[in-house]
Amino acid sequence: MMIYVLSVVLAFLFLLLVLELVRRQKLKEQYSLLWILFSAVLFIVSFNVSFIEWIAARLGVKYAPAILFLFGLLFCFAFILHLTIVVTRLTAQVLRLTQELTILKEREALHGQND
Amino acid sequence: MKTLIIIPAYNEEGSIAGVIRDIRRHTPEADIIVVNDGSTDRTEQIAEADGAKVLTLPYNVGIGGGMQTGYLYAQRMGYDIAVQMDADGQHPAEELPKLIAKAKDYDLVIGSRYVETTSYRSSRLRRIGMVFFSGLVSLVTGQRFTDTTSGFRAAGRKVIELYADYYPMDYPEVESIVYLKRKGCRITEVATEMHDRQAGKSSITPWKSVYYMIKVTLAVLMSAIRYDRTAVSKP
Repeated sequence: MMIYVLSVVLAFLFLLLVLELVRRQKLKEQYSLLWILFSAVLFIVSFNVSFIEWIAARLGVKYAPAILFLFGLLFCFAFILHLTIVVTRLTAQVLRLTQELTILKEREALHGQND
Repeated sequence: MKTLIIIPAYNEEGSIAGVIRDIRRHTPEADIIVVNDGSTDRTEQIAEADGAKVLTLPYNVGIGGGMQTGYLYAQRMGYDIAVQMDADGQHPAEELPKLIAKAKDYDLVIGSRYVETTSYRSSRLRRIGMVFFSGLVSLVTGQRFTDTTSGFRAAGRKVIELYADYYPMDYPEVESIVYLKRKGCRITEVATEMHDRQAGKSSITPWKSVYYMIKVTLAVLMSAIRYDRTAVSKP
């Protein structure tokens, strides 16, 4: 039973941390929503031990808490994938900004010569 | 025909002056733009002293981003033909008129070491890579290419627009051919001599070449099966 208690405590602390980060504007609301959802699900699931055991039985998992880890891990993968998509977009945007700036700089230098 | 020669340069102070002088001698009517990709040496000063226009990027963006800056410039300034050429002296300027003349009839002209027998010789590993990519691109596009990794190319207005819109970030040569074929461009190769590099050293190390093979193969296959969204909006 220890793992369920630990899981409830961790989920609660995690939720507090996310809310505090949003309050301090260290985390955008749009990204925090996913984390809040995640900790809420973890919180509820940790309370309903029978629910976890029911799913475990359905999936043929002998060690019920492994279900918690499975979903936690899957969520992490999904979130990291999302982040690399964001990084790809940001990289493209930064490159285009750099290129535009470089061309503008050259034109400005040309204007300076004509004055 | 307004013609621009694009020379991407990253720390090429040893060879850039010679390259610019050769271009002047063989195609005096063309404008030259050196894309200085965050060099830490005197590339910028030397190119400017030799009378070339220089676009200096504030940090090193890599060959793809640098080359695209040149095409973006060509697009904004209304050039009809843009020729890309290496800063290390590999691509002889005396072949420029041949490329530029052909670019009037084709969207992209690639200077190839292998269309006819030229004096170019390279290491066995490099040759295997080139044969592999030629086979891959020929298979995917249905057109035979002999030298897909050549960075000596002349592009017409259509390709200038397409490259300004999208250009692969690293190791761009092979993938950019497939991209153009997918957009319905007419591409041809002409035989050109190529020299060994005059200064500096190749950026390709053994580990990088493994990454290069895998990355480019993936990029080519992905490019071949990509759903073409822009073709619908841009007739």
